[in-house]
Amino acid sequence: MLRACKEAGHPTVAVCAPNDVGTLFTEMADEVVVLEGETIGETYLNQPQILQAASTTGATAIHPGFGFLSERADFARAVKEAGLTWIGPSAEAIEKMGDKMTARQTMRAAGVPVIPGEEVEEEDERKALEALRQASTRVGYPLLLKASSGGGGKGMRAVHDPADFDQAATGARREAVAAFGDGRIYIERLLSGSKHIEIQVLADTHGRTIHLGERECSVQRRHQKVFEEAPGPTMDVELREAMGQAAVAAAQAVDYVGAGTVEFLLAPTGEFFFLEMNTRIQVEHPVTELVTGVDIVREQLRIARGEPMSCGPLLIRGHAIEVRLYAEDAANGFLPSIGPLSLFRPPEGPGIRLDTGVREGDEVTPNYDPMLAKLIVWAPSRPEALEKMRRALDEFVVLGTTTNIEFLRDLCDAQPVVDGTTTTTTIDDLWPNGWNPPHAPMLEEASLLAAASAETLGLHRRNTTTSSDNTHGPASPFTTIQRRFP
Amino acid sequence: MQHTFASKEGPLEVTLVREGEAFVLEGHRLTPHTRGRLHVQMRDGRRCLAHVAKVGDVWWIHLSGRTYRWERVEPGASNAEDEGGLVAPMPGKVLEVLVKEGDVVEAGTPLMVLEAMKMEHRIVAAADGTVVSVHFAAGDQVAQGAVLLELD
Repeated sequence: MLRACKEAGHPTVAVCAPNDVGTLFTEMADEVVVLEGETIGETYLNQPQILQAASTTGATAIHPGFGFLSERADFARAVKEAGLTWIGPSAEAIEKMGDKMTARQTMRAAGVPVIPGEEVEEEDERKALEALRQASTRVGYPLLLKASSGGGGKGMRAVHDPADFDQAATGARREAVAAFGDGRIYIERLLSGSKHIEIQVLADTHGRTIHLGERECSVQRRHQKVFEEAPGPTMDVELREAMGQAAVAAAQAVDYVGAGTVEFLLAPTGEFFFLEMNTRIQVEHPVTELVTGVDIVREQLRIARGEPMSCGPLLIRGHAIEVRLYAEDAANGFLPSIGPLSLFRPPEGPGIRLDTGVREGDEVTPNYDPMLAKLIVWAPSRPEALEKMRRALDEFVVLGTTTNIEFLRDLCDAQPVVDGTTTTTTIDDLWPNGWNPPHAPMLEEASLLAAASAETLGLHRRNTTTSSDNTHGPASPFTTIQRRFP
Repeated sequence: MQHTFASKEGPLEVTLVREGEAFVLEGHRLTPHTRGRLHVQMRDGRRCLAHVAKVGDVWWIHLSGRTYRWERVEPGASNAEDEGGLVAPMPGKVLEVLVKEGDVVEAGTPLMVLEAMKMEHRIVAAADGTVVSVHFAAGDQVAQGAVLLELD
């Protein structure tokens, strides 16, 4: 976002929490305002404080990014009421799509197919659980419990056995209350063997609503995407047009303006169903940018200024793949990990793009989402894009914090990924008992040689972190410890 | 040049052989270059560059797309990890404690619910046993590696 603003000639102001001071995005912006407070509620979700920062710095528009306030209708409204431009859809569109139950009803009315299921509008916990239990028998198993205000897999549970229903519903409700302050849950039939296909849409204030084709994001762990690609490996022109038109109809049904994504499940039967609409830019938008040549954030800026979008007819060229680099231990149930990024060396070369929020020397903390970076490759064909991704992941060095790089690399060799037959359960199907790195005894021995040699050479005294070499700014405590106890 | 590293099978003694500038282990050969770059020639002839970094006592090694961690231990040091203790797999907050001291549990029984990065994680009993002690209550913050409960 900051880069697009820079290219468009708009000066930028970043807001950050005190524990984010000095991170990459704060240094890329022309100005930075440090928000007061410790919790996310006091900082990144604190609307008056963010509006105050805009007023103090003379900002005229707010881009909410993704996460935090990006899908909050009340914030979109507050920004407009403060006389600022909101780079996003109207508060009304966010409301209609943000509440997943309302969205399902709106889509049904607009003739967009929705997943069979039931909404339960009940605030009282005991009554809601009872109503959900009854609805579950009508929807049938296996089923999915989803939070009406949900997203990112939070407040979501798959239930295969009625005996597990109460525990799952209680957990989903509690997670939803904690994450969104709204415990309302609805039920969808779990359509196993389905692909997650989403359509990027753009709409301007001159009456034009278009789609930029699809992304396939079936490969997920804990309902969070890890591997995304465009175009979808099994899509054809007719299906793209049918889903594209459904997505455009969905956007028009809520008078949508700006960039948005309409998510669908594509069943093995070839039927597709509306899942939800994300009323913001998405994490995986780069794959669409690489195959269409459209800079989606630049278009957001144009549209927010009231200009017509600059896109011509849809032209999809080559194949793009994105993987999400998480600070997590894939061999241990994908649990989040923390630590220093003692070494952070991304791959380079033609067709490689890295969108990152971190740099070498940064510390991975438990404060925020464990996503460190997105690695995106483009090549003329899907097999070549996979080859490039394998090479890029092999080249990616991150030391000091456990990441999912080796898992992503292994994924690139998995048969469903190679064949393009991935579904939303691919990871669980491939590794039902959890993933473990492939055994490589020769490399393991050689790594032991490297560790023993590095110890003998005393490399930790001069080569642990590059940030230890800097003479400006406070030395990291890690460096100090190393110097004190060589 | 002898070093000891921790491994699942116990302490691992590594004896390097020096050949000129190079270090040799089990037929693998490592040649240090300037600025800490390490060139490795493996026994099967493959060549690769090793990236290394030390965090605490642990050497992180990147080699040919793989990352390995080797914790250096002083020879003779004992492993003080409590048997039967269930430790926090990541830093977070205790949401719920599902058992109390004296409870008899079966393998797979959920014992505690933790929250980290807004996701819930269940701590489950790895084997049948009796809850000997519970060290945290709902609402407590726990550090990674903290012993949450103990089973006999």
